[in-house]
Formats: sequence, C-alpha cells, structure tokens
Amino acid sequence: MSTVATPDKSGNAPDTSAHGRTEAGRSAAPPARKKSGTGRITLGWWVLTVLIGIWCLFPVFSILATSFKTPSDLSNGRLLPTSWSTVNYEEIFVGGSRELFLTALRNSVGISVIATVVAVVLATLCAYAIARLDFPGKRLVLTVSLMVSMFPVISLVTPLFNVWRTIGLYDTWLGLIIPYLSLTLPISIWTLAAFFKQIPWELDQAAQVDGATPLQAFRKVIVPLAAPGVFTTAIIAFFIAWNDFVYGISLTSTETARPVPAALAFFTGASQFESPTGAISAAAIIVTIPIVLLVLFFQKQIVAGLTNGAVKG
Amino acid sequence: MSTVSAPERASGRRRVRSARAKSEARLGMMLAAPAFLIMLFVVLYPIVQAVWDSLFSFRLTAPADKEFVGLKNYGTILTDPVFWSDLGVTLLITVVTVAVELVLGFLLALVMHHAIKSTKGLVRTMILVPYGIITVVSAFAWFYMFSIDSGYMNSWLSWLPGVDANLNWFAQGSTALFVIMLSEIWKTTPFISLLLLSGLAQVPGDLTEAAAVDGATRWQRLTRVILPNMKAAIMVAVLFRAMDAFRIFDAIFIMTNGAYGTEALSLLAYRTSIGRLEIGLGSAVSVILFLCVALMAFIAVKGFKVDLADRGGNQ
Amino acid sequence: MTTPPTRCGRGRMLAATGLAAAALVLSGCAADDGGGTPVLTWYTNPDDGGQATIAQQCTEASDGRYRIETSMLPTEASAQREQLTRRLAAGDSSMDIMSLDPPFVPELAEPGFLAPVPQELQKTAQENTLDGALAGATWKDELVTVPFWANTQLLWYRKSVAEAAGLDMDKPVTWDQLIEAAEAEDKYLGVQGARAESMTVWLNALVAGGGDEIIVDPEASADEMTTNLAGEAGTKAAEIVSTIGKKGLGGPGLPTQRENEAMLQFQGDKGSFMVNWPFIWAATNASVEAGDLPEDLPEDIGWTTYPQTVEGHEAAPPLGGINLGVGAKSEHQDLAWDAVSCITSAEHQADYFVTNGNPPADPKAYEDERIKDAYPMADAIRDSLDIAKPRPQTPYYNEVSTAIQQRYAPVSGVNPATTPEETNTFIEQILRGERLL
Repeated sequence: MSTVATPDKSGNAPDTSAHGRTEAGRSAAPPARKKSGTGRITLGWWVLTVLIGIWCLFPVFSILATSFKTPSDLSNGRLLPTSWSTVNYEEIFVGGSRELFLTALRNSVGISVIATVVAVVLATLCAYAIARLDFPGKRLVLTVSLMVSMFPVISLVTPLFNVWRTIGLYDTWLGLIIPYLSLTLPISIWTLAAFFKQIPWELDQAAQVDGATPLQAFRKVIVPLAAPGVFTTAIIAFFIAWNDFVYGISLTSTETARPVPAALAFFTGASQFESPTGAISAAAIIVTIPIVLLVLFFQKQIVAGLTNGAVKG
Repeated sequence: MSTVSAPERASGRRRVRSARAKSEARLGMMLAAPAFLIMLFVVLYPIVQAVWDSLFSFRLTAPADKEFVGLKNYGTILTDPVFWSDLGVTLLITVVTVAVELVLGFLLALVMHHAIKSTKGLVRTMILVPYGIITVVSAFAWFYMFSIDSGYMNSWLSWLPGVDANLNWFAQGSTALFVIMLSEIWKTTPFISLLLLSGLAQVPGDLTEAAAVDGATRWQRLTRVILPNMKAAIMVAVLFRAMDAFRIFDAIFIMTNGAYGTEALSLLAYRTSIGRLEIGLGSAVSVILFLCVALMAFIAVKGFKVDLADRGGNQ
Repeated sequence: MTTPPTRCGRGRMLAATGLAAAALVLSGCAADDGGGTPVLTWYTNPDDGGQATIAQQCTEASDGRYRIETSMLPTEASAQREQLTRRLAAGDSSMDIMSLDPPFVPELAEPGFLAPVPQELQKTAQENTLDGALAGATWKDELVTVPFWANTQLLWYRKSVAEAAGLDMDKPVTWDQLIEAAEAEDKYLGVQGARAESMTVWLNALVAGGGDEIIVDPEASADEMTTNLAGEAGTKAAEIVSTIGKKGLGGPGLPTQRENEAMLQFQGDKGSFMVNWPFIWAATNASVEAGDLPEDLPEDIGWTTYPQTVEGHEAAPPLGGINLGVGAKSEHQDLAWDAVSCITSAEHQADYFVTNGNPPADPKAYEDERIKDAYPMADAIRDSLDIAKPRPQTPYYNEVSTAIQQRYAPVSGVNPATTPEETNTFIEQILRGERLL
C-alpha cells in the first residue's frame, strides 16, 4: 500500500497520498460497521464459501475418486470406489507409464516456466510503451497482438511443423517455447496494458515534470505500481502455457519435449483396447497437485496483486 | 538509465518537450519491439503460409498432385452443410459459455471483493483450482463423471425428468454439448472473475462511498457506478473469452471427438489438415475460422469502443 | 522402459530470445550421437511393454551391429497414423522401424514413404504368415510391410445365455440368430457402435461376410474410386446394424461403445454375445483375480468363429494387428530390415502373445506350449486369422472409414433402404474434393 509514495516524490504527489489515506480509513471502517449483525453475516459467507468450494473442487474430487478405482470398478455407477486401490498410481510411477509420465511432467514445468518468464518480461515492456508512451506503430502492435491471439492455433501448427523440421526445432523445448509465446504474449500485453492504463499516471507525469526521464519514471514510479499486475499476468500466462494441448500433440514426437496434456493421449490400459481411464485419472491428479500447491502458495500474491493493486496503490 | 543533467533541466520548457517526445517515441519502439517481432515471427509466417496453402488442392501424402485451385476450397467449404452446422455449434458454445461465465464470474468477483476476512482467502484459493487445471484434465473429469460406462451422474440426477440409468450423455448433440459447455464454464469462469475482480478493485472507493452517502441503492451503485467504471475490464474479459471460446478444441476432442453434432470449427480444421492431411482445404477452414474471430473482435472494438491504445483513458 | 534420447545442455534455454543462436546450438546438439553403434528408432504402438523387451533382446542378439530404441506412438490408431504420416511426409530420417496398423499401410506405401522389403525377407514372410495377416501387409500385389502380430475378432458368448436361447454354438451362427436370441433373453449384444474406427471394423466384417468388398477397385485413383455399400451384402449389413440399433439390443451405451465398453457390458448381467478381440480374455481374468468380477465368470464364457452375415456363407472376421515397415528415408535400412526379421521371429511372436496377449501372425508360433495354457482359444484365433478379411486397402482409407462412421453411427439412425446409397455418394463426393468430412 505504501509503494506509491517514494520518499523523494511525496511532495509532488499530494493527490495520491491523500487518496492513500482515504483508502486506509475506508478499509478500516467496514469491520466496525459489520460488528452488529456479525453472526448471521458470517454464517452467510461461510455457506456461500462452501457452495463455491463444492462447485470448484467437485470435479477434481471426482477424478481423484476415479483414480483410486480398479479397472473393473470403474463402471460401479458410484462416485466413490468400492475399495480404494493404488494400482493406477503404481502404473504411472513404477509401472509401464513411468517414463512417459515423469518426463512429460518435467517438460511441462520447464517449458511453461520459461515461456512465462520470457512472455511477461517482453509484455511488460511492450504494455508500458503502449499505455504510456507515444510512438509510431502503437496501434500496429496492438492489432498484431490481437490477431496473434485470434489466429486459430490449429492452423499455425502445420506450417510451424514444417519450419521446425527444417531448422531443427521439432521435438525440442525451444520448439514449444516459441509457439507458447504466441499464446502468452498477446494476452499478457493486453492484460498489462489494461492494468497500466488504470494506473494514476499523474504520478509519472509529476515525476517527469520534476525532471525524470521517461525511463526513470518507469523504473521508480511505475514498476512498483505495476508489479502486482505483472505478477497476476505471469500467473495467467503460466497457466495458459501449462494448459496447451494442440502444440503439444503436434510439435513433439518423443519424450524429449512432450508435455503432460499431450502425454495423456499416450496412456494405455493393459492392452491397446482397454481404456486407460484409471491411469489418466491418476496422472491428472498428479499434475493437479502442483497447481493446487502453486495456488496455495501464491494465493496471497494474486490477491495482493488484484485487490491492493495499481489503482488503490 | 541516463540521469537528467542540470543544464538540460535549466533549458526552456518547449525544447525539453520536443526532445522528450522524440526520446519517448524511440523508447516506445524499443520497448515494444521484442514482443512485436516474436509475435510476427511465430504467427505472420504461418498466417501467410496458411492463406497461400488454402489456394491449393494439396494432400500431404500426394505432394505430386499439388494443384492451384484459386478460391475453390472456400467455395467447397461455404456450400457444405457441415461447415454451417459446425459454425452454429461454435457460436452456440461461444454465446452460452461467455454469457454464463460473465454472470457467474461477476458474482464470484463480488463475493471475493466483499467477503469477510476469514473466507476471502479460501474462496480465492478455491476458484484458482479450476482456473489452473489443464483443460484436458477438466474435460476428462467431466467426461468420466457423465460417461455411461464410468460415470455416476445418471443415478445422481435420476430425479430430473429425462435422466435415467439409460441416458447416454454423449450419444446426442444436445446432452453432449451440455456437458462440454459445463466443463468449459467450470474451467474458465475463474479467468473472467479474476479479470473482473481486478476491475472491481480499480473502481474508486470514494465514488461508491459518495453514491451511498447520496442515497443510492445497492443496485444503483452497481449499475451506475461500479459497472461503468469496470467497462474496460469487462470488455477485455469478454473479448478474450469469446475469442477463446470460439476456438474451443480440447474439451470436444476429449469428450466426443466431434461426434453426433458436437463438432466445432477448430475441430473441423484439425481433422481436415491433420487428420485427412488435406493441407489446402484445412488451411481454408483455418482462414475462415480466423476471419470469423477477426469479425468478432472488430465488432467488439468498433461497436463497443474497446480501445486499449487510448492512452490515459477517461477514468 | 525407453531410453531417453541424448539430451543437450540446458544452456540452450537461455538463448530463448536469440532465436538464430539457439537454432545453431540445437543443430550442434543433434549431431553428437556418440558415434559407434547405429541407433535404430522403433516407433511402437502402446502395449504392455512387450515391444520394448523385444527391442532389447534384438539389440543384444545383434552383437553390437545396431541398437534399437523405442519411441511410443499415441494410443488411438488414427492418432498414430497422423504422427507417422506427417513425419514421413517431412522426410524424417529417424523413421527406421514403424509399428503400423494394416489399414493405413497403403496410404504410406502409395507415395513411396516405405522402403521396399528385401526379396529374401518377402519370401520368408510369405511362407510364415497366416493368409489374412498377409493380405493386410500387401499393397498392389507386393509385400510392403512385414506382419509382426495379427489380430482377429471372435464371437464370445455366455454359455448360460446361449443355452437358454437354445443356440448350438458348435455350429456357425448368424447375426440374425444372435439378434433373435438376445431379444428373447432380454440381453444386450456386444458390438461396437461408437463413431470410431471400431464402427468401420464391424461394418466391413458384415459386408465382407456377405461376400462383397466395400471398395470396388482399391487401386483406383481418388477421382474414380467407388464404393459398394448398397449391394446385396451392404444392404444386409445395414439391416443388421440398424436392427440392433432400433431394437436397443446394444444397450444405451451403444453410440459411444467401443471394444472396452463392449467388454464391460458383456461381463455384466446383461451380457450375452459379443464380437471382440482376444484381449478380453486376459482382461476378464485379471478382473476376476482382482476380485471385481465373480469367480465363475470365465467358466461361463465361450468362444467361436465370428457370426455369419448370410446363413451358409463363411464369415469374414475383422483383421487387426501390427505390421512393421521401414521408412524410405531411414539411413540404416539394411540394419532395420535385419532388426525386423529378428523382431518377427516365431519365438518373439509367441513371447509377445504370452506376455502381451497379441496373437502371432506366424502359424508356427501357435505350437508354443505356453500359448495353449494361457489362451485356450488360440486355435480358434488361428483359424479365424486364416479367413479374416482386411479393411479396405486404399490410400484413402481414412476418408472412407470416417465417412462410414459418420453415416452409420449411431446405428439406430441407419435406414437400410437409403443409408448405404447415401454413403456411397458421400464418399465419392469427398474423394473428389466436393465435400467436407
């Protein structure tokens, strides 16, 4: 909350520090006001929370339950397994699908993280320029990034496949990271531009009037203001990269780079005709654990990024 | 990171301005260039290639028979009922999912924005789970839930008219699309609600306070103060979700593979260019798909005045 | 179970933004393959690990002449084909050995993506392969791949149901009899009615059982190819599938039912008769052992030859399996064929049947004692493979099959008077580029 008013500029930004004070005063007020009917309101919120929780977590629980069913228990017609069996987890950790699954997991994590970092760094620079600076070609950048995000991934795949074969990027990490940028960059640019647009630019202008270069203004005023937005954008970008399926099935062919969503199509039952329902469910649960951990771990940052973000300062 | 030297600061305001404008333009281009060039590289070449390929009759397994056919592929597609039915399915999915997601997402955003401290974090953590989950995983979860072979929804929902143990959800378009859309809505509502929450957080508290003081009802505060101030966030959310929903692929691919009237345009493009290896016809489908999405974006930007390039804004 | 390919330094990731530099680093990576023993890549369809084991055995048997590494293809046959075809079309030199589903062989053979089978190997393969399997490895009268294992469907039945219905299962039975029996006993027939490859498998077996072939001249070009679905056999086939669909004899799951779902249904209370591959025997026994199915179930399961479409006319059971092909651009073709001949030896085929449940294409392998113990129906499988008919052998198999799936599934929507003729027209329009699929 205090990031806005850097010491040397506090004098030049009376507007915002005043705003900051109002904020502090306001956010302190509601609890006092709510004190009266606390009990019922609290209960109401908890009921709502439980309902949301069921909606959000039920499908995950469902596939978790499926992952503990034996092949012939799958058709028992009930949510819970008749008896809890770990046979599907054995299949993906020590059984036939071990190599397939573990390498895919490593590929997914590595490729997605790199694609996210690159996209967010580049998008932050780009979005700042778009939201803040006058330069020729601004509209072009936005139009192109919109077109990029609109273009159906399906139709990029075949031409990319041919180029990648020629220059040796087929079935490599880099060969997925670059197309992933086409997924993560546009949304990062647009989201960040929207964020940046709503930052109180008077601060920046004040800093510039005060004699700072645009770059200094960017570093000292805007970066702290924008950081929460950038972080949120990074998470959005990561989940988009993590989620990719089409590039994953089209631009890889071995364990070298095949990510998890694509690898799920490679699971198999004891024979080619048996449905790998159990193994897929188990793998699905395993790849969901990192997401849950990530969400638990970064929830505060996301919340901070979104609620105490740019505008509220 | 050059520092501003004293003499420059001392010089006339005008000169500083024009010099500043120049350096601002240069900086702007420098900052935007890397992202711009990468996007061009990854997409421009394939776009041009796809447009070019769409003018040929070209099957990957018969390279010798490649033949220039002009716009014939487009004619074939636009006169085929399969295309129109796929377009209809795609539009249906887009409209329904985005509309439902917008309402649910806004409610979720309101809950997250106003919730009491003890449940706030919990709600936010929980909605991030579907959001982070891989679409393919979500599709499998919903598919197994409703599947007549491994599911249990038929017995759970048997109190609903028309649902009994013999209902095969994936045997006809209506019920299959219902499950497909349900999984899409479940998976992507959090995305919208997060974007809307960021918009809510940016509605100046003073304004709502002032409106409340002036005697505005909750509904009036919502429609007169909060929503107008969130316009940018709402439009971005809707635009991106609509364009994304229009390209729906993973969930359909996993659940029905397009069978029984559940095929969307991107699946048609996939089956034509990757399945049938008809590069020409497939590229034409892709180009049409792209044009449809471009039209949607054009309407959003022109019709609803979504303009991210508009510097400074009018808040 | 598979050896990961040589990994390059992680440093390349740092170059993510410097594209040109990264491409250079990567091409450098690709070259350092340790010299020495040539590595053959074998693209395998997913199985229970049997192909990886054979790869290891043949590597050892080669005395250091080559090393076989396996690389897994997707589970779905159509997805396997997509991946192989795109890599072959791109001239990939790593396509040394490929496990191929027979219907997709012509598509790869026609444009010259497959290396010719050496004369000697052709001769041994022709001598040592069951007729049905051999037909699936041939294109334009030439052996273009080597059968590794062959699959066929049997008619599986619950002895109790057959008895109650008064069917003598020692004699050939017809589809009409099965329909009648299932209807009388209020049971479900196990067939594959999902809009998937298994639908084509079923329809083709019905048409072939009536003595016709779906494609009139498999070697015709796309512009001239015609299909024969509305002939006598085709009409009879349409009648059978539509009756099963309209009377609900396949159960409510039929429109999404493939081999696995059909098996689960067959194992349940409503199970009666089912056409399916032999995997169901091992799978059912495994479930019984796991305690998920009643112990006396296997005793109630009988098997016989695929049902007849027309009474008195020999049935034409579906043919499946895997053939091995070598990529035309492979840099080690001679070694690859050596490896293929090692992999397809009768001994390895027998091993593979015992461990993975996939029946041999070589009749000699059936003499293995272990097979008789594990698969009491081995003889029935071998006999069935002798009369099995492949699916249409054409480079346009994917189009033909997808069109059939779209018009015949759900089977309850099939009208024997119109559907066959409409499908004929539909397929012709697609092959001439006038329709989308």
